[in-house]
Amino acid sequence: MADLITLTIDGRKLKVPAGTLVIEAAKQAGIEIPAFCYYEGFSLQAACRMCLVEVEKMPKLQPSCTLPAADGMVVHTESPKVADARKGMLEFLLTNHPLDCPVCDKGGECELQDMVFRYGAGESRFTEIKYHQDEKQWSPLVYYDPARCILCYRCVRVCDEGLGVGALGLTYRGVAAEITPSHGDHLECDECGWCIDVCPVGALTSGTYRYQSRPWEMNHTGTICTHCADGCKTTLSVRNGAIIRANNRDRSGYNGEFLCVKGRFGYDFVHSGERLQSPMIRKNGKLEPVSWSEALAAVATKFSEIKARGGKFGVIGSTRTTNEENYYLQKFARQGLGTASVDHHRTGDVPALIDALSGKTDALAAMADLYQAKAALVIGADLAQQHPLIAYQLRANYRHHKMAAYLVNPGASREEQYAKKSVHAPPGKEMEAVASLAGELKGHEDLVVIFGASLRGEGVRQLVSFGDTLGIPVKYVCLVDYSNSRGAMDMGLVPELLPGYRSVREAGMEPGLALDEMLAAKDLDALWAVGANPLESAELASSAAFVVVQDLFLTETARRAEVVLPAQSAYEKNGTVTSVTGEVQKLKAGAKVMGTKADLEIMGLIAKEMGLNLGIWSPDKVFEEIRRTVRGYNIPLPVVATGGAAQTTPVNGRVPAMPRPEHIRPSGDTLFTSGTLGRYSKRLSSVMEAPGELFKG
Amino acid sequence: MPKIQEILSGAAAIAKGMGVTIKEMMNPVITDDYPDAPPKFQERYRGLHVLQRDEDGLEKCVACFLCSAACPAQCIYIEAADNTAQERISGGERYAKVYNIDYSRCIFCGYCVEACPTDAITHGHGFELASFNTSTLIYRKEKLLAPLAPGQTGKVKLDHPVMAETGH
Amino acid sequence: MLYNEPSPHETRILTRRLVYPQAEPIGYEQYAAQQGYEALRKALAMTPDAIIDEVKKSSLRGRGGAGFPAGMKWSFVDRKSPKPKYIVVNADEGEPGTCKDRIILENEPHRLIEGCVIAARAIGAERGWIYIRGEYRRMIETMDRAIAEAYQQGILGANVLGSGTRFDLYTHTGAGSYECGEESALLESLEGKRGNPRLKPPFPATSGAFQCPTIVNNVETFSAVPDIIMNGGDWYAALGAPRNGGTRLFCLSGHVNKPGVYELPMGYNLLRMINDVGGGIRGGKKLKAVVPGGSSCPILKAEECDIAMDFDTLAKAGSMLGSGGVIILDETTDMVKFLYRTMKFYAHESCGWCIPCREGTAWLKKILERLDAGVGVSKDLDMVDQLAQSMFGRTFCALGDAAAMPAMSIIRKFRAEFEERIRSAQVFIPAPETRPLVVL
Repeated sequence: MADLITLTIDGRKLKVPAGTLVIEAAKQAGIEIPAFCYYEGFSLQAACRMCLVEVEKMPKLQPSCTLPAADGMVVHTESPKVADARKGMLEFLLTNHPLDCPVCDKGGECELQDMVFRYGAGESRFTEIKYHQDEKQWSPLVYYDPARCILCYRCVRVCDEGLGVGALGLTYRGVAAEITPSHGDHLECDECGWCIDVCPVGALTSGTYRYQSRPWEMNHTGTICTHCADGCKTTLSVRNGAIIRANNRDRSGYNGEFLCVKGRFGYDFVHSGERLQSPMIRKNGKLEPVSWSEALAAVATKFSEIKARGGKFGVIGSTRTTNEENYYLQKFARQGLGTASVDHHRTGDVPALIDALSGKTDALAAMADLYQAKAALVIGADLAQQHPLIAYQLRANYRHHKMAAYLVNPGASREEQYAKKSVHAPPGKEMEAVASLAGELKGHEDLVVIFGASLRGEGVRQLVSFGDTLGIPVKYVCLVDYSNSRGAMDMGLVPELLPGYRSVREAGMEPGLALDEMLAAKDLDALWAVGANPLESAELASSAAFVVVQDLFLTETARRAEVVLPAQSAYEKNGTVTSVTGEVQKLKAGAKVMGTKADLEIMGLIAKEMGLNLGIWSPDKVFEEIRRTVRGYNIPLPVVATGGAAQTTPVNGRVPAMPRPEHIRPSGDTLFTSGTLGRYSKRLSSVMEAPGELFKG
Repeated sequence: MPKIQEILSGAAAIAKGMGVTIKEMMNPVITDDYPDAPPKFQERYRGLHVLQRDEDGLEKCVACFLCSAACPAQCIYIEAADNTAQERISGGERYAKVYNIDYSRCIFCGYCVEACPTDAITHGHGFELASFNTSTLIYRKEKLLAPLAPGQTGKVKLDHPVMAETGH
Repeated sequence: MLYNEPSPHETRILTRRLVYPQAEPIGYEQYAAQQGYEALRKALAMTPDAIIDEVKKSSLRGRGGAGFPAGMKWSFVDRKSPKPKYIVVNADEGEPGTCKDRIILENEPHRLIEGCVIAARAIGAERGWIYIRGEYRRMIETMDRAIAEAYQQGILGANVLGSGTRFDLYTHTGAGSYECGEESALLESLEGKRGNPRLKPPFPATSGAFQCPTIVNNVETFSAVPDIIMNGGDWYAALGAPRNGGTRLFCLSGHVNKPGVYELPMGYNLLRMINDVGGGIRGGKKLKAVVPGGSSCPILKAEECDIAMDFDTLAKAGSMLGSGGVIILDETTDMVKFLYRTMKFYAHESCGWCIPCREGTAWLKKILERLDAGVGVSKDLDMVDQLAQSMFGRTFCALGDAAAMPAMSIIRKFRAEFEERIRSAQVFIPAPETRPLVVL
């Protein structure tokens, strides 16, 4: 830490590290200095002049956002001179700002409103005609009203510095100056909508939230985004059970304010017209809506019958359901149905990494480590497309700490903008390229290695032993693709492993069929797909199989099913999910969709109908059981309960039985696709660019 | 003697009584003839709400939600929508697609009228709300809107002067 | 070419090689024949520190407007820095009332080149740019020709006059923005970005063009360097006033009989400048006011004009010497229109970066437009003053101050004239009523 210096702000003596900005020092002391253009973590502008303060021995008022604190400095933030300056600035701002607060979406949460209310003049002296420009639509999701814009350049900076897209710039000058997309009249960008969030006024408005509501009309629920595995916190704003906005302005999660297009706009699948809202049973070859009791009884009867005659079950879990549901499902399958054929759509070889790291402590990186590491090595991942938060963390690390990034990818990726070295290597040749970087990697204090699904099994072990040769602390992230892919693996939704990476033999069973084998088995009697769509790309070999599907939509698998049960999405239920970095976070129910039930409740009701005793099916009770029984999950409850992220303690030891890596199939999702859910999100399709193309730079 | 006096005092009493009656007969009537005749109201009587229109017949309401925020009984429900170039409903950028007032909850406090920045919602003089079914007490926008005045079309005139300077 | 006949009152140092009429720019041959590039030869034999000392001794102050001592600026450059160092010539002459740099660019380009090479030697720069405003099309061509000549003669290039050091010089065209005359905005523009001013510190001497140590000086500043080296700093300092060394080019414009660019020693009396050099007020009228250094400087009333034209004296009198653009206004001048026209210029040239300048200049322009049209109220006058005060000292760069200073000084010094305009308005239009936003 730098040397501490002492300065006085409003008569209070403060000790802060040398070089701290006065505005930050004041914030630490609880003194608010108003500002529009100052935005923590991004470059300094000093353009809004709201943060002017009086510093003794300086003739002019100084912008506190660019003024480093110096020893013995005496600052006044509320002197008459400062108050006058603020009043003057706000008066200038309001000259060409349309006072259309009643129709402005920002009304009620507008920083300009707040500031004028607090620091502004009571009356307006401006009697001239205002300068006006009409509103423009830049993309289906982003609208810009230049008249309202106060030019704080926050949008320009988050886009350029935060995401590395640089889709926004400034055109014209003087009072006509306005923000303009780099492509002229439309945006070609990630459509993340962060610019809309940071806009202090209603200049940038979201195409989805426009005119929908007022901030005070909504309930806000902080939950975890259900799209990719990065586990961003997204705060759903709900009015009458419907989600009308998602953002993370309260910076409650480890993602801060960052969200990608899926987190901010991709929630509309919840209210898609194609959502299933009633259970269905196949009658005379057609799926007909029936009551819940009828549907549950039908499933229970058939399951009991097949179990009684020792039939062959296949149970496929989901990569998006909660840990509790996954745990309960494998318990149901192994204890209730007596089958070891449990699997899910695997997208990364986590067990191999855990096995290879046996004997090491502190070798799995948390999301925060990506921002702190001195160097990063990315293997086989187009992070900006597949893992936007990881990409953002690394970029922020580079911007703030000059982290050195090394890439080994089959093609171009956005990280090349700042990477120290990028090697293009086709899949299968990665390790040779990685080995060539050894000399440079050794020179850094520590390293975090992020690898995709192209490294699996033996490849992961080679990578870890390569890391051992570097002689510096190395942490690893094994990339997986869906919001609870990691949790599904941890909860033992694989034929070989029980929850907590224990061998299934401990439970007196032999490993059952993997997903592909279930589909290929001609004698399968029952297939139970919970939130999974295995028939999207494959055929079910057994024509006589009794197929039960729990899902949000009538997917390919649901169309083949005998019984379809309408489930809830992650935004409608409680529970926990585990992110790509093994951090457990809590889901909180926000939206409501009539006629649906949470998967956990559905499973519990089936168990009850079958007369099985698998424990109480409330998320809290099941999570308690997970904490008690699953290795690594004995995490501090208060952290999770209060909405924080708790990293699971890595299972330190050899993994006794390895799930077969040949069953790993990466999803190949880009920024604008998200498996089945993405297909039902009209908004994601409306802004999609270059669908399905990774490593295009 | 006492008899005459009795007669006289009786007559006087009758005259006095009739005097009051006749005097009141001459005075203007202060009671209402409701329901045979329409009742009279003070101008500021707070009755059934009216959603006003501007001089072109466009709706004044811009769906700012301030009335619903100000409402202590939470009886106002609004859904907003965007005016388009083809279809202009209100004078502002947006209009109320749905505007419901639940009169089973409304307490006629007038806060909504005070809160309205465009003077769109006002109290009218309607008061005959009684119903046997509370579900009929939710009044929709169509019922609350002021009727179009003669000559009004409810469409915007295109020859409005543009009150702003553009270009550089 | 020269546009006016030289005055016998001039002290011709900078312009000594120029004749009237000067039909063609002075080429290399002629320049070299008249002691050209001898200063460079001398400088190449000196140590960098000796050059800077000589410039410091000369008390040469920046001729662009701010008047920062040039030698001091040069000494801020860290010559040991591993980064390349750069020379940037500010030839973005945009201040209304100023037309002096073009005289040098147009007539004696080699003087500027020589000055640049000496400065490059002083700070160890190997590359320089001359940032010329886009409107100076002919000067850009002249300069390019002179640079090509200098390359041929070995003055520029890999081996400057056989000294073994390298120096390359290029011209760079601006796009006609006043703001790009501000040194950091000029650097942004030079780098190919939008010409917005930069955050200071760091100053260009530590992090200028392409984040490398850079000195940015005016054309006239660089052009004065060869004579300083030739004749010594003390000689140059003695020409002018204390701490205001040498001569400078004053651009007399407005209501004088002989407007033009004249080279006069620093500290020359303003009244003498008007009467002797400029030949008095046109048409025998009386002097009303003088803007002493380009449109951004506070105005001087006629009775304040008996003053020495140097940086310190004018600062004491509440004005500035600025870029040397002396605008002389006679008694017929309409001060309302004058201020309106000035403000229109600033509203047009504000870059839009910071709030007070962007909104303030536009607002002032609108009020003054109204006042000029006779549709003002007396309240407006106070408002102009207050708005200018709200801008002054609170903007990101000096453009806000440049707009606020004339507004404040003119409205204070000529308030009666503004009031008279309001009173004499033919049409009475009541000012729109201002209503309180919040009724308590």
